[in-house]
Amino acid sequence: MEILAFASFAVLVVAWLVAPSRGDVIVVTRKSEDRKAA
Amino acid sequence: MPTTISAGDTAWLLMSAALVMLMTPALGFFYGGLVRRKNVLATIMHSFFILCLISVQWVLWGYTLAFGPDKGGIIGGLDWLALRGVGQEPGPYAATVPHQAFMVFQMMFAVITPALITGAFAERKRFKAFVIFTLLWATFVYDPIAHWVWGGGWLGQLGALDFAGGTVVHITSGVSALVAALVLGRRVGYGREALEPHDATMTVLGASLLWFGWFGFNAGSAITAGGLAANAFVVTNTAAAMAALTWMTVSWLHKGAPSVLGAAAGAVAGLVAITPASGYVDVSASILIGLGAGIFCYTAIQLTKRLRVDDALDVFGVHGVGGAWGALATGIFATVAINSGAKDGLLAGNPGQLGIQAIAVGASIVYSAVMTFVILKLIDVFVGLRVPESEEVLGLDASQHREAAYQI
Repeated sequence: MEILAFASFAVLVVAWLVAPSRGDVIVVTRKSEDRKAA
Repeated sequence: MPTTISAGDTAWLLMSAALVMLMTPALGFFYGGLVRRKNVLATIMHSFFILCLISVQWVLWGYTLAFGPDKGGIIGGLDWLALRGVGQEPGPYAATVPHQAFMVFQMMFAVITPALITGAFAERKRFKAFVIFTLLWATFVYDPIAHWVWGGGWLGQLGALDFAGGTVVHITSGVSALVAALVLGRRVGYGREALEPHDATMTVLGASLLWFGWFGFNAGSAITAGGLAANAFVVTNTAAAMAALTWMTVSWLHKGAPSVLGAAAGAVAGLVAITPASGYVDVSASILIGLGAGIFCYTAIQLTKRLRVDDALDVFGVHGVGGAWGALATGIFATVAINSGAKDGLLAGNPGQLGIQAIAVGASIVYSAVMTFVILKLIDVFVGLRVPESEEVLGLDASQHREAAYQI
């Protein structure tokens, strides 16, 4: 069980290392949605 | 000394752990109000994420490194990895409470300490870099120093007094914050445009909740529900109030207005300074410690600003300087009349205690500074510390989290 506990945390750490670290972002806000609807 | 579990002590310690837990999200609000609105979610996320991250790190390996059986005065052994052997019976640190209660109380200290640092690199640090930094810093800075002072390590053996974390929590986080501010560099627009707090009400609310939680931090550190906890509670409240009054007054004289944010920051500075002393000093000393905190911390912040160090939310001035003042003040004002299990300080005829406190302060500063510098440089090489300028201008809420705090 302890090995599984360490392993599950390790999987998360590896995921953080490989996850995208920046976004080319367009933030969807209510205002922009409203504009789109209009 | 009783060796059976006390219901009163256990209830108080678990309640205190819950109070200290609240301090980390409270810190998120304190810091969140101080940043610009485009960074408020990212700033709150720093504290909330650390609460989650260190809660797991602490049970897997943090607790045993900090409090496990001593290895040469430097680090705890791995006997309690994944809390093996840490159960419902009392452990070696507290005879009247379950070992798990002591462990979880200490966990909340391990959680809030790296969260304090986040104020220094607010508004410009890459989230991935922040995650890796926190994990490494908790393992290689917090856990060893907690062991040195509280886990049977060399500073504890030397006789250093630190009731609730002046060295372990505040000097380590404050000094690391200064190093982080220097390594990351200034925010875009620093010195050219106003980088103003977006919500002072949020900051005052956060400071108030921090004050509330601090009763668990300091009075809970008595571990027992008795007179020592009551004394710690009273001196904590008194020092916080005195420092808030002092900071507000100094800023009023200096800048011509009694600052609300100044009163909030002053209260936190007083809470920081009384932390190491709260189990060793009387109420008169707490007034002087609060006075000193208001003056020294305010002055330190003016100095860092004059030196153009972008410690964004003044972590070094409040926690580094406040923690150092509190640790040294413990060596001045401590008395066995308050805590018969401790030692007298300078004013009670034991000047050597001040020297021991100075050694503890110096060791915490040097170790934290060097290790934090190394960790940050390594992360910068492999991941990169800062977001690109375009993302910093856009704001971290959008660039790092793809969310916005306010739909208005």
